[in-house]
Amino acid sequence: MGLQRPLGATINPATMVSELIEIADYIAHVRDEIAALRANELTHDRIPMAHEELGNVLAATAGATNTIMEAAESMLALPDGPEYRAAVESGIGTIFEACAFQDITGQRIGKVVAALQQFELRLARFASAVRARDAAGQDPAEAERNERAQRLLLNGPQPNGPATAQDDIDALFA
Amino acid sequence: MALDLSMPILVVDDYQTMVRIIRNLLKQLGFEEVDDASDGTAALARLKGRKYGLVISDWNMEPMTGYELLRHVRADEGLRTTPFIMVTAESKTENVIAAKKAGVNNYIVKPFNAATLKSKIEAVCGA
Repeated sequence: MGLQRPLGATINPATMVSELIEIADYIAHVRDEIAALRANELTHDRIPMAHEELGNVLAATAGATNTIMEAAESMLALPDGPEYRAAVESGIGTIFEACAFQDITGQRIGKVVAALQQFELRLARFASAVRARDAAGQDPAEAERNERAQRLLLNGPQPNGPATAQDDIDALFA
Repeated sequence: MALDLSMPILVVDDYQTMVRIIRNLLKQLGFEEVDDASDGTAALARLKGRKYGLVISDWNMEPMTGYELLRHVRADEGLRTTPFIMVTAESKTENVIAAKKAGVNNYIVKPFNAATLKSKIEAVCGA
């Protein structure tokens, strides 16, 4: 919208009407794009759903890990004897059952991924429609997190497995 | 030199499952005296109260990371000789080099197995 002109310049009424119509069209367009964002649906339904699903995934994996470890620990503590095999088979059965968590968590994560894709799609469309530009600078809390991560070398797990192989690390300590 | 299986070991990790895994692996290796702490600050408090033969620490914890814990341990006259193994998902070379410069005795990248843990303990504590 290139509507700037020098102060005191004469305004042609027809031009002014045309520019006002342009502004009104732009406002209507932005309003449509905001409506298309369906922000209330995102904040009331999709984002809380994603939170809940991820919380369930966390609980399911923690529960399954606990069950598996308990079964393994009880097998390790088994005394030698005639009931050893039956007890081990029972423990292995428990481990198999606990591994079923992955099917459910996979489905839950799928729902979260779909919600994120919707979120991304709508935001990208909105940003493009209003020609949004990101504000300069950084969120203070994020800046603090980044500074701490940089200072304390908190790089986290690398996307495709370890960045340095154990053998290479061992060579440094040889 | 054989491993002293009676030496107390301090496992530092904010993820209780990992503490449990390491504790079980250590138990399989014959170590019975295993304490744990959930971050560097809690670990330092434990280290002040008991003489440990080995510290096995994660890197990424809050409020005090394993890297900061290592630097504190090496700066403390009473603790500086305590063997220290880092067990972490931080696998960038800069992490390994920083830990080595700070005085870590060995470095294990997660995920790891029992054999790796055993060989590093043997390398650090003698075998």
